[in-house]
Amino acid sequence: MPKHIVRLLILMVLFAAFAYGAKQYFTVGSYYSYGHYRGNAVADIASDKPKFKGSASCAPCHAEQSTEWSSGVHNSAELGKVVKCEVCHGAGGERDVKGPFEPAPTGRDHPDHLKLAIPTDTAKLCTLCHEQMAGRPAQQKQIVVATHAGTLQCTTCHDPHSPRTIAGAVLATAPPGDPAAGKAMAAVCAGCHGAPAAAGPSLDGQREAYLADAIRAYKAGLRANPIMLAMVQNLSDANIRDLAAYYAGQSCRSAGNGETAAAAASEAAITANCVVCHGADGVSRQPLWPNLAGLSRNYLAEAVKSYRDGGRKNKSMSAMASGLTDINAADLAAYYSNISCR
Amino acid sequence: MESLFIAAPYTGYVYPNETVFPWSVLIVVYPYLTGLVAGAFTVSSLYQVFGFERLRPVAHFALLSSLCLMIFVPTPLLLHLGHAERAFNALLTPHLTSAMAMFGYISAFYVLLLMLENWFVFRPYIVEQAQKRRGLPGLVYRVASLGSNDVSEKAMRYDRKWIFALAVIGIPAAHGLHGYVGFVFGSLKSREWWSSDLMPVIFLFSAIISGTALLIVLYVVSCWLRKVRIDLACLKGMGYAMWGFMMFALVLEGVEFGALVYRGREGIDVIMEFVAGPLIVPFFILQFAVGAVTPILMLSYLFWRGTGGTPLAVGIVVSAVLVMFSVLMMRYNVVIGGQEIAKTGKGLLTFQFEFFGRDGILAAASVLVAPLILLSVVVRFLPPWHDPVAP
Amino acid sequence: MKKEDPVEPRSGRRSFMGLLGAAVGSAGIAVAAETVSHEAVAASAAGEPRSVAKPKIPGYDWSEHQWAFGVDATKCIGCLRCVEACKTENDVAGDAHHFRTWVERYVTLEGEDKARIDSQADPVNIAASGSEKEYRFANRYKDAKVEKAFFVPKLCNHCTHPACVQVCPTGATFKTADGVVLIDHTYCIGCQYCVQACPYGARFFNAEKQVTDKCTWCYHRITKGLLPACVEVCPTSARVFGDRNDKESPISLFIKENRVQVLRRETGNAPNVFYVGIDKEVV
Repeated sequence: MPKHIVRLLILMVLFAAFAYGAKQYFTVGSYYSYGHYRGNAVADIASDKPKFKGSASCAPCHAEQSTEWSSGVHNSAELGKVVKCEVCHGAGGERDVKGPFEPAPTGRDHPDHLKLAIPTDTAKLCTLCHEQMAGRPAQQKQIVVATHAGTLQCTTCHDPHSPRTIAGAVLATAPPGDPAAGKAMAAVCAGCHGAPAAAGPSLDGQREAYLADAIRAYKAGLRANPIMLAMVQNLSDANIRDLAAYYAGQSCRSAGNGETAAAAASEAAITANCVVCHGADGVSRQPLWPNLAGLSRNYLAEAVKSYRDGGRKNKSMSAMASGLTDINAADLAAYYSNISCR
Repeated sequence: MESLFIAAPYTGYVYPNETVFPWSVLIVVYPYLTGLVAGAFTVSSLYQVFGFERLRPVAHFALLSSLCLMIFVPTPLLLHLGHAERAFNALLTPHLTSAMAMFGYISAFYVLLLMLENWFVFRPYIVEQAQKRRGLPGLVYRVASLGSNDVSEKAMRYDRKWIFALAVIGIPAAHGLHGYVGFVFGSLKSREWWSSDLMPVIFLFSAIISGTALLIVLYVVSCWLRKVRIDLACLKGMGYAMWGFMMFALVLEGVEFGALVYRGREGIDVIMEFVAGPLIVPFFILQFAVGAVTPILMLSYLFWRGTGGTPLAVGIVVSAVLVMFSVLMMRYNVVIGGQEIAKTGKGLLTFQFEFFGRDGILAAASVLVAPLILLSVVVRFLPPWHDPVAP
Repeated sequence: MKKEDPVEPRSGRRSFMGLLGAAVGSAGIAVAAETVSHEAVAASAAGEPRSVAKPKIPGYDWSEHQWAFGVDATKCIGCLRCVEACKTENDVAGDAHHFRTWVERYVTLEGEDKARIDSQADPVNIAASGSEKEYRFANRYKDAKVEKAFFVPKLCNHCTHPACVQVCPTGATFKTADGVVLIDHTYCIGCQYCVQACPYGARFFNAEKQVTDKCTWCYHRITKGLLPACVEVCPTSARVFGDRNDKESPISLFIKENRVQVLRRETGNAPNVFYVGIDKEVV
């Protein structure tokens, strides 16, 4: 065989040996351990640190919110509807402060040295799930934003940890009251709440849940009024429901106070904030919110001031009334007191 | 930070991740280059194996062109990779079920084969230069000759056997290399536009015509540069080869397209919308009308009329340029076109060209030009016009 | 040339061919043979999982689990908390073009044949959220007459016969013994062939790392006894995850109690994400 062919063959064998050696040398040790891949990759990938920690990791430090949440509708495990802490608050193991989230006022560092955050723009957050939209299954609670609350934040009325709680009271599904039994008891009330011009506000046609809630508040001293406390302190909860049912069943008799000029002058004071809950016509949208149409001017003005000054305690109303002057309160009262509720 | 990706506009519904094209113009260039390699090698084999004597003037040139092109075949892939430095992983631990894993081995084998065949073909010249030259060039030639100056009749007989054997092995290797490129696309079930058994064969035939066309152009340009008369018989031979294979390629593409439309599987609505809209210019006008029908008609006319001399040469060269363009458009329409039809079968995307950047037109064009520059250098050291096996 | 060449004796030719084959091909053949032998070892070992070593994951034995995923489209409300949670948990690029999981909306209007489809990545929905990093479905059919509408969460199907793994040239992506398709980001060369091969569009190119990326079913969570992030945050239990080896796991019950289907069955990929309540138009 010619010399050049022999040398060529030697070169080729050397190349083959080199290639094989290189392959052996450079192939990663754990390769082929479990299959055609780098065996250690599995444990490497599994070693990453989870960022979502689960609601249980929030509970020890945030016991109050956790309790509130766990008994609320956002923790309906039997329906498979559980909105865990991190759904709204973001991952507990990592805090990327952005968008509708902002650092909590406490400024405390989270266990992972990351800022805690609370959602501020709940109108944006809650509607991710609850805005009425084609495609959402019927069992999902949905609202038409424009007619439900407009631009208001959801937390104005709802407790986000337990959203059925509206402005401090639970929308309880207590047994309905008995209007007949209520009528018998109402004789005592008639002295003050009977005629439109009487000392106390008219109760006829008022929202049932609001009435019951108001009586309970007097009884518990949450609304400080010695006369009312004396009147209601011996009522059982059944009595309260009966009374509320009676008055709610009556038709409202007020035709307004007739001070049309004053009402017209103050109409500008009525803001969207009032209208969203109490209606432009003074008829409320929720059982827990009172109708205002035709209530006495004095009573309405005092109520606004009382909310503002902390005499009556209600998160939403305090917020609403906080910026109002006495003149504003009088204007609002003038407007609603002139509306006929008939 | 500059945007790391280009998002494509779309109509209809596409999967969110589809808005970034995985494969860009570099992957258009890659099958084009391998096609040119396979085509050029075919031309040389027609002489070396099948005895087409009239192709003798370009036989060695074809072999050399094939090698120069092949050396650059991996570059578009390497440029495209996210981690080119890990490219050897595909050679270290080739995944046997992957068409792409085999690329490293097939192409490495083929590069070796081309180097060997070129070495044998040019050995007499290398030996001659090794004895004649001094200094650095002389040293290079002496290393290349492996220290053997044996050009005896016995040694030459050995060499001819090797050349023949390598050429014979090279035919399935070159066509396997390119058929496999077709398989890379045709074997994917995720894209209706690619998923076809005919894809490897179509790639193969278009490869042969593009390689032949390239040689026609390179040969004429080289003659012009060297101020040598063009061997018309040789040119016409290549013209015939291109003409014949083109008809095959056209029929195959027609059959494939017809079958796709006729089967009319899910997503055909969007495919038809694509064919009737964005595809009109790149496919029907550029690839089909300008690049395929025009040269076929032109060549048919020339051969029918028995035209000779300069008109024949001009006609064939113009046809060859059009064919090369047509095949490039075919690669484009397959690679980019396939990605423009969304996997959802309910939407169309529009590819966004990038000029600069790793995946850009500039990079792709450079990859296309580089082998020609290399070839222009290599012919100075291994002149293929020199008839090495003169009897 | 042929004519001048006396035909060489057969034996001579054979020896040339033999030498050539042995020399040139030996590198390739040796490497391929060695690879095949590795494959054979791995394949035979897979049959008897007890006898092989297992990845060192604290408190976790992958031979005891076979993970699977369920999606109940009738419960999905399209809140996209899963999509955001996934991006946070897995550091996925905060833009509208890279998702390990996403949600599609199918809306058929009265008098129309075909559903209108969009996902959170649609420009209209990005405009509604105001950022490419946050997602919400715009209420774009608010005033239209909708005949039928539903949401479909999507993610990697972790197929039994994954087309992506089949085409990976290096073995950087693979299927684990517990049924998860993973990507080794330190081994991936970034060729994106797998992105092309996936019929579900579940893979994408991680431009930052320059490797392919995809859903791992939060392998770092499930191996620690946690749920994948998307399942963890789903407020309506539309996403279900569990171990098919455990007959009482949520996923086993989901498959048992519902008539489930998979996406694109015709591809032969055999997905392991099971759907309830999707329509004929879902792709």
